[in-house]
Amino acid sequence: MGRYAIRRLLQLVPVVLGTTFIINYMVWQLPGDPFAGRCGQRPCPDSYVTAMREQFGLDQPILVQYWSFLKNLLTGNLGTDFNGVSVATQLGDAWPITIRLALMAVLFEAIIGIGAGVLSGLKRGGFLDNVVTISTLFLLSLPIFVTGYLLQWILGVQFHVIEPTVTDEATIPELIVPALVLASLNMAFTARLTRTSIVENLRADYVRTAVAKGLTNRRVVGIHLLRNSLIPVLTFLGTEVGSLMSGAIITEGIFNIHGIGGLLWRAINGQDYTIVVPVATLLVLVYLLSNLLVDLLYGVLDPRIRYE
Amino acid sequence: MTEVLSEQVGRGSHSGALLEVDDLHVEFRTRAGVAKAVNGVTYSVDAGETLAVLGESGSGKSVTAQTIMGILDMPPGKITGGEIRFRGVDLLKLPEDQRRRVRGEGISMVFQDALSALNPVFPVGWQIAEMFRMHRGTSRAEAKKKAVELMDRVRIPAAKDRVNDFPHQFSGGMRQRIMIAMAIALDPEILIADEPTTALDVTVQAQIMGLLAELQRDSNMGLILITHDLGVVADVADKIAVMYGGRIVENAPVHDLYKNPAHPYSKGLLESIPRVDHKGQELYAIKGLPPNLLEMPTGCAFHPRCPYRRDNCVTDVPPLYTISGTRGSACHYWREVIDEGEH
Repeated sequence: MGRYAIRRLLQLVPVVLGTTFIINYMVWQLPGDPFAGRCGQRPCPDSYVTAMREQFGLDQPILVQYWSFLKNLLTGNLGTDFNGVSVATQLGDAWPITIRLALMAVLFEAIIGIGAGVLSGLKRGGFLDNVVTISTLFLLSLPIFVTGYLLQWILGVQFHVIEPTVTDEATIPELIVPALVLASLNMAFTARLTRTSIVENLRADYVRTAVAKGLTNRRVVGIHLLRNSLIPVLTFLGTEVGSLMSGAIITEGIFNIHGIGGLLWRAINGQDYTIVVPVATLLVLVYLLSNLLVDLLYGVLDPRIRYE
Repeated sequence: MTEVLSEQVGRGSHSGALLEVDDLHVEFRTRAGVAKAVNGVTYSVDAGETLAVLGESGSGKSVTAQTIMGILDMPPGKITGGEIRFRGVDLLKLPEDQRRRVRGEGISMVFQDALSALNPVFPVGWQIAEMFRMHRGTSRAEAKKKAVELMDRVRIPAAKDRVNDFPHQFSGGMRQRIMIAMAIALDPEILIADEPTTALDVTVQAQIMGLLAELQRDSNMGLILITHDLGVVADVADKIAVMYGGRIVENAPVHDLYKNPAHPYSKGLLESIPRVDHKGQELYAIKGLPPNLLEMPTGCAFHPRCPYRRDNCVTDVPPLYTISGTRGSACHYWREVIDEGEH
């Protein structure tokens, strides 16, 4: 397994190089001059534009720019944005908030999604099963921004259960509703996946064996059935961590959360590529690492998987 | 068996055999209709005795066993009548909690396909140890030690090194040994083996049968051996119950049945075994198909395939006629069948 992990890590190198190059290339190829609109109502003087281009290396060929990006990335020097504010500081402020939001979302997905899935799978065709099936379908068919604005309006504006927007501190109680919104799609999918998996395994021979061993119903379900049924579910939850981070952009926008999503959103609108590139790179890294982690975890969860 | 269980399931006070299945009826309610899987099965096993239950797929032999164990899927299964007495106590009337204690401690079961019957994600030693931990409250370490002892007892080589291996890391025969180790862990009084050798090579089949016979001798268990293979049971069984269409059609001490079957179906089964001294002859096969459980033939279920059929076979269900003290045949013309000669 150690060798497998190292091989997989080495495989990440070309992937990271490829994706970051594409990000750099795309971003610097976008139409419009990032410095043209920075002087209020008047067009910026040519001397300013030239000076800024030189300062941020925009006059260099793309390969040279990419090389300096890599050098800066490896030395941890992310420089400043176009306004002269340290990029590292901005990332450092925003990152923990997004992590907190995403972790809470994963927690909701796991607890509510798996819980609902197990209950409906065990009593297939029952009342609860129907409730879960209908409500998951409901969640799955609603785009995340609809769910977000709807909850914000109902809970925040109509009933004042929550504040409609989140403060700069983004405390855990404040993030509950946004995390639920962020989790909603995956939560519904997790519930359905768990249900299918439970129903499939419920008739498995080893479950019958567990009953024949004279184990309590609780142990048959809680240990023997669940341990097998959760393998695909946990894999799904793990691979979705990466996309959860990018999904946070919309949720953070709705609830005015100052996380990575908000940062990225403002940077794209301001064409500030010094922020867009590191944030996008970070998201790529999170995605790749969480996938690697899931692959390794899979072997722990299912002993039949061999790493060779 | 623990003291708790002895109190719940009375001991010694009854007069019958250790396990008695009495006029059991089981149905499956499916969308296509009601399938009558078991239609009045009666058999018994005593300590130290081996009963072979013989029959083709759909004859109801496995369903009967699952009903004894209480692992029948209900629904679609439904027990519509009869009793299953273990030490004189009807298991079907026992509350679920007490019924659960009988499983594994009083009666336990070995399944056909050990690969799917063992849990793929837990080490085999853990799965055996679970019996001690859950039924006896044994500590993890102690239970694991007992698991190794059991693996030794069913002759798994290097048991100590393999106790943490997973089921997929064993061969088919070794996996079946692990199933057996798990089943005998708590010294049950009855062991049900449901086609324990069907998924195995012929040489391994003999080893597993030998092991079962030996374990039974050592611990004086009652053994119910379910099979469709007459050859497998000849050496180990004391008595045979032949099932057809959810009924027992012949009941006999094993030698009597082999020597001189009293039911056309058992006779057909015996004749369809390949024999060395009949080399070159065409192999006998029972004509026709097993009965459709949704639409059982009227009268005797075997009549559409029976060479001895008369008019009353189509209308009258034959009772299990007593031939002698321990022999019975559900054929109106059993005298004719038995007279036709020695085998």
